Amino acid sequence: MSRSAGIVDRRTAVLGVLALLLAGTILGAGLLGGGVALDRDVYRVGVAADSPYRAPVERSVALDARSPDADALRDGDVEVLIRDGEFRAVDTPKGRAALSELRSAVRSHNFEQMRGEENGSAAFPVVTVLQYVSRDDTLPDEAFADDGGDGEVVVGSGGDGSGGDGSGGDADGSGDGDDAAATGGGGGPLGVPALSGINPLGGGGSGSPAEIQPPFPFGSLVLAFVFLVPMNFVVQAYGSTMLNERINRRGELLLVAPVSPGDIVAGKTLPYLVAMIALTALIALGVGGSLVSVAAVLPIALLFLAATFAGAMFARSFKELTFVTVTVSVFLTAYTFVPAIFANVTPIALISPLTVVVRDLQPLESVSSGAFAFATAPFVLCAGVLFLLGIGIYREEDLFTQRAVPLKLLDALDARVSRPRDVAVLSGLSIPFVFVAELLAVAVLFALPVSLTVPLLLFVVALVEEVAKSLHIYAAFESGTFPRVRRVALVLGALSGLGFFVGEKFTAVSQVVGLPELALGQAAFAPSGIGVFSAAGLLFAPLVLHVVTAGLTSLGAMRDLRWYGVAFVGSVAVHTAYNLTVVSYFG
Amino acid sequence: MVDRPDPHGGERRDGRPNRDDRPSRDDRPSRDDRPDPQPGASGRTRTDPRITIAGREFNSLRKEKTILLALALQLFIAAFSSFLVVGLVSLYDPGQVEGYEVDVAVTGDASEELIRASREVRGVDAEFYRSEETAMRAFHEYRATGVDAVLVAETRDDRVFVRAVAPDSNVQTTIVVVQLRDVVRSFERAERTDRAAYLDSLPLELPPEASSSPYFGFTYTVLLPLLLFLPVFISGSVAVDSLTEEIERGTLELLRVAPLSLTDVVDGKLLTAAGLAPVQAALWIGLLELNGTSVANVPALLALVAALALLICGLGAALALLTPERRAAQFLYSIAVLFVFGGTALLPNGPINAAARLAIGSGGVAEYLSVAAVVVGSVVVYGALRHLVARLDADDLA
Repeated sequence: MSRSAGIVDRRTAVLGVLALLLAGTILGAGLLGGGVALDRDVYRVGVAADSPYRAPVERSVALDARSPDADALRDGDVEVLIRDGEFRAVDTPKGRAALSELRSAVRSHNFEQMRGEENGSAAFPVVTVLQYVSRDDTLPDEAFADDGGDGEVVVGSGGDGSGGDGSGGDADGSGDGDDAAATGGGGGPLGVPALSGINPLGGGGSGSPAEIQPPFPFGSLVLAFVFLVPMNFVVQAYGSTMLNERINRRGELLLVAPVSPGDIVAGKTLPYLVAMIALTALIALGVGGSLVSVAAVLPIALLFLAATFAGAMFARSFKELTFVTVTVSVFLTAYTFVPAIFANVTPIALISPLTVVVRDLQPLESVSSGAFAFATAPFVLCAGVLFLLGIGIYREEDLFTQRAVPLKLLDALDARVSRPRDVAVLSGLSIPFVFVAELLAVAVLFALPVSLTVPLLLFVVALVEEVAKSLHIYAAFESGTFPRVRRVALVLGALSGLGFFVGEKFTAVSQVVGLPELALGQAAFAPSGIGVFSAAGLLFAPLVLHVVTAGLTSLGAMRDLRWYGVAFVGSVAVHTAYNLTVVSYFG
Repeated sequence: MVDRPDPHGGERRDGRPNRDDRPSRDDRPSRDDRPDPQPGASGRTRTDPRITIAGREFNSLRKEKTILLALALQLFIAAFSSFLVVGLVSLYDPGQVEGYEVDVAVTGDASEELIRASREVRGVDAEFYRSEETAMRAFHEYRATGVDAVLVAETRDDRVFVRAVAPDSNVQTTIVVVQLRDVVRSFERAERTDRAAYLDSLPLELPPEASSSPYFGFTYTVLLPLLLFLPVFISGSVAVDSLTEEIERGTLELLRVAPLSLTDVVDGKLLTAAGLAPVQAALWIGLLELNGTSVANVPALLALVAALALLICGLGAALALLTPERRAAQFLYSIAVLFVFGGTALLPNGPINAAARLAIGSGGVAEYLSVAAVVVGSVVVYGALRHLVARLDADDLA
């Protein structure tokens, strides 16, 4: 398919490289120059020119030094006033924020000053070493389970033999000492990374307590973000080429050529994938990531391309495509980036492949192969399914028609269903998406109290799974693939439930990283029988549930959208009730 | 949702509903020739053609539900980032976790001083243990003892060596480490004061502690600029797309048959695209106000957004006209946006920074000047675009 690869015209390729270079330069210049400070001068501090506090205020990015007029505070010209060694702040949230900003500015000023002292032992009388020691059972109750009673933790550890993973590095140490020692508050928690050099991870510290860093891999996080930046550009061009074929029937020539749609799509996608891999490798070389980083970013690149491809197949116009691409970019960026922030804190972070990158970029951290598979496999599978769906409608009757995005989605689903057993296959294929959606729900809810989130989560799980099991059945009925007969609907529902049940077993990978040890992780995956049911008789309870609920929605889907909606609500209710029962009795 | 997809529905052209009825409307004013390119010059009573184009653009956006998608997207970003920060704050600021106390087992010869220093830190309960062994045992049997961390303080060579032991890999680790750091910091301060005679200069006294949420700063410096400028970016993208689309589909020809000049077409498209941004910005500001975040200098902020939207959309339209291929146009547009936002973020008074300071109420003359500079810039870009459009022949584009 080198011919269709050649369709990417050189001008665009050159423009693309140019754009990325420029973007990289701007980003690099901004970071190196320390120039991008979103919170520059947001707080005003009145301080005299000869005050010892003048220097820290002027050095702080977020603070702006003003003249210390006695009335300035009352007039609202400053937030904090330093006069006669006294600190006065306006009594508003802003005033308090300014005061704590000032506090950390003074602290970092002190630190700098002490570094200049000759008498080292007087300037830094305390030398601190921080150790992380694993405790047998790492999760204190109050962190996740609100109280005993339902005994979630007990059964969880008994079921799979006290799966203490203890994966994280235990010798992170305090070697994270940058010059920017005032991370305690300097510039707000998310202000802007204070990168002092290319690699913020190196360098030893003086051992001063000021240099203790909570386990927050900010440097690696910023570097990991760099991996995501070029993808947003590449998918734009990719989406354009794909939609271009659909405008004014330009793709007709390719379609009549003796090649399959899959070949066409592969040929058109390959150059972009290669470009992404090349860029990733370059970035990895630049920031010091290993092969693991590249391998972890690859699934993200694949999913970016796959989602954009599906978007280009569904969109009616460039405008719509832009919104689809932006949605995809934002969603994927958030989904991959946000959990990575918690890379050192909780196993939930591993829902994102970027966490693997963050861990890889940190010295003394390693990634187990199980964790790697957990983070990347859903992405690869989702990408595969999306390509499959898109290729299904890469044919004349769909390529050149204009339909709303949801209808196109139904078409794409229907294109994959021709025999009853396809329904089961498609249900099974939906698992990666279900998995991703449920993980997202876990990640979003994990900070809230358990008593509130578990029922909510169980509802979300039921909702997601019912959609996955029934949407393609609805699509098939709507397009008339199957006769609208009750018996057919029941058979399809049973098949869908069976396919889903089989596919669901693969979510056992979540055990590898110890996700079920979290109360929420357990709640999300227990109803599918993971880590809970040891008795063989109960093994098939999820199967019964899936068959029953899928049959119910299938009966509704047979009639029309309204009935489908009613049946859907019913089966979600049944599913939620089942989930609640399982979690409260067996969890 | 459409109830039942019509098997022939595929032939519908949902994207451009008004085009189909355009000929009938154009029949009404009986014009035999091409209309004059000057809008309004003939004194007709019809609405301004630019408004018509704008309405048509708006309709197409509404039909494709792209506006809803855009708003949902922004809401998602706002919710996600806010949620994230709230989560982080509760993770990093023990003061936010009500009633949570870190129990520390202290041992070693300097433990007395260390315990005294720990009294200055809120939310820490330090207790003396005889030996490191008993302390570590208490640490491991934390269910019974409640000990979250161990500090071993030993004096050697005029210094105190503190070994801090924190639990590995759980959510509380962060809180524990933050608290331990505060304890040791306070300890360091005390020790330093004891050794003051050997120091050339004493460290400055710290300002009083204020209970402030880092979320406050985040709202104004990250969230608000994000919500204000994301619509601008999307609007520019819409401007690029709606022009390249007409060019690529060859429908610009059709518009020329209508009593419109190319300037009218471009103006109409700009009006919709650039007009949406300040509306969305106002919506977000309103929502933030409802949420208890007071935003100062709203008119100036809206003026900034409107001017920036005109500037970016103007740039996008110019790019779309100059490179009549969507891929290239979008690429160049992205570069231009990167320059405008990335470049100006480097300036001490760039729009992002100025918006943050205006919103938080720290704005002064400098911020108003930077708003004015953006307004002037947008007028210049718009003028240049008109000049460009006037010189272009629509035949070149089709």
